[in-house]
Amino acid sequence: MEYSPAVVRQFDAPSRARELPRGTPGLVTGEAEDRTLHVWIRFQLQLQGGVVRAAAFQAFGCPHTVAAASVVAEWLEGRAVADAQRLDARAVCAQLAVPVEKLGKLLRIEDAVAACWRAA
Amino acid sequence: MSGEIYLDYAATAPVDPAVSAAMAECLALDFGNPSSTHGAGRRARQLVETARERIGARVGASPDRLIFTSGATESNNLALQGVLRRSRAKRVHFVTSRIEHKSVLDVARALEGAGVAVTYVAATSGGWIEPARVLEAITADTQLVSIMHVNNETGVIQDVEGVGAACRARGVLFHVDAAQSAGKVPLALDSSPIDLCSLTAHKLCGPKGVGALYVAPRVTLVPQLHGGEQERGLRAGTLATHQIVGMGKAYELADPQREAPRLAALRDRLWDALRAIDGARQNGDPHRRAAHILNVTFPGIDGESLRFALRDLAVSAGSACAADSPEASHVLMGLGLSDVLAGSSLRFSVGRFTADDEIGRAAAQVAAAVARLRAVAKSAPAWCSA
Repeated sequence: MEYSPAVVRQFDAPSRARELPRGTPGLVTGEAEDRTLHVWIRFQLQLQGGVVRAAAFQAFGCPHTVAAASVVAEWLEGRAVADAQRLDARAVCAQLAVPVEKLGKLLRIEDAVAACWRAA
Repeated sequence: MSGEIYLDYAATAPVDPAVSAAMAECLALDFGNPSSTHGAGRRARQLVETARERIGARVGASPDRLIFTSGATESNNLALQGVLRRSRAKRVHFVTSRIEHKSVLDVARALEGAGVAVTYVAATSGGWIEPARVLEAITADTQLVSIMHVNNETGVIQDVEGVGAACRARGVLFHVDAAQSAGKVPLALDSSPIDLCSLTAHKLCGPKGVGALYVAPRVTLVPQLHGGEQERGLRAGTLATHQIVGMGKAYELADPQREAPRLAALRDRLWDALRAIDGARQNGDPHRRAAHILNVTFPGIDGESLRFALRDLAVSAGSACAADSPEASHVLMGLGLSDVLAGSSLRFSVGRFTADDEIGRAAAQVAAAVARLRAVAKSAPAWCSA
């Protein structure tokens, strides 16, 4: 399996791979998984004043999954919720040069973020 | 080898300098075709026969029972297809195990397509093929049983003497894939109940692309390659003299009595360090294992991520021959592991040039990678660890 330099960078030092503390004001959590694909994602977002003040993720999955979740967490933080809701996992995949056979896993990232919006 | 620590001797081993020197000398000086009758040919033939003697001495076989091939995969193909495709019986049955190497299992599947009935005997959770289970699988139509000596993923040593004796009592031929054991575990083929045995050079600090098949006197095979009478008509093609010389040298240098204790000590030190990682567990019965292989599961870690995090450490997820496949190891799943846990497992294999200090450094790299990846998946559900 080949990994793009962007995947290597994000996988080696993922951004916002953490848990936001309980009691954080405006905290919402969303999860998605696919056991057959061996992927589980959890996103936590702090929503305040229509803005994603903080984003955090946890991930069990391949390097592409971890890297893409890191990119998405980075992208979400500081963004207006209305804008953040337009997250496009395919664009993230293209940015990271993720092979097409990994798309099914990475769409779970979109699902986990969507679950955050439902929980909001 | 840059800064990489090489712990993948079960995939292949660095060529011993004495082997490459012997091969280089052969390439430079002894270019003759061993089948030719002139001087150059006779000199090359002498090198081939010396190599055959050295290999025979290492595995306890009369040199004239050894047929040179391109490696264990070809040897396995020649053994299985050579026996089972020669049969004129209406019903032909073959017995093997579920944890064999792909070069046996894929041949078995191809033979099934040609009408051969195949029974795949299950392993115990310790990776052990019980001889009694093999015996139970034998029917009146069984013509061949194939069980590997040392499993390439777990290192478990199978009771080939026991299985072979049972086969012989039933008049069934017995093939052993000894790719992982030859030169590492003592073998005495001529005095064993083994009829066919596949050997390779490159797992033993020899060159890739050369191997041999031991064929006991009572066995007849149909050749799989046509186009020459080399190797008693069983394997057509000009003999690769320099490769054979390299294999002969590798088998001469290998000495399980001398090397195995040191390799076992390295392996045990590695396990002593890795067992400190929370949840780490060995795969394969540790009391029946060859000295050079250690297979460990690290629950809660995605296997692909673990291997990538450890990209400066040369280890395998399982068989190197299946490394390009995204599927989890059929061997570990055959021991009862889930596909998740099989994916979270690494095979470490040590060898002649593994340095003592590499063991501690490798274990530290694994511990750091596991800790980092577990931190990223700290709240993951139970199925990620089960």
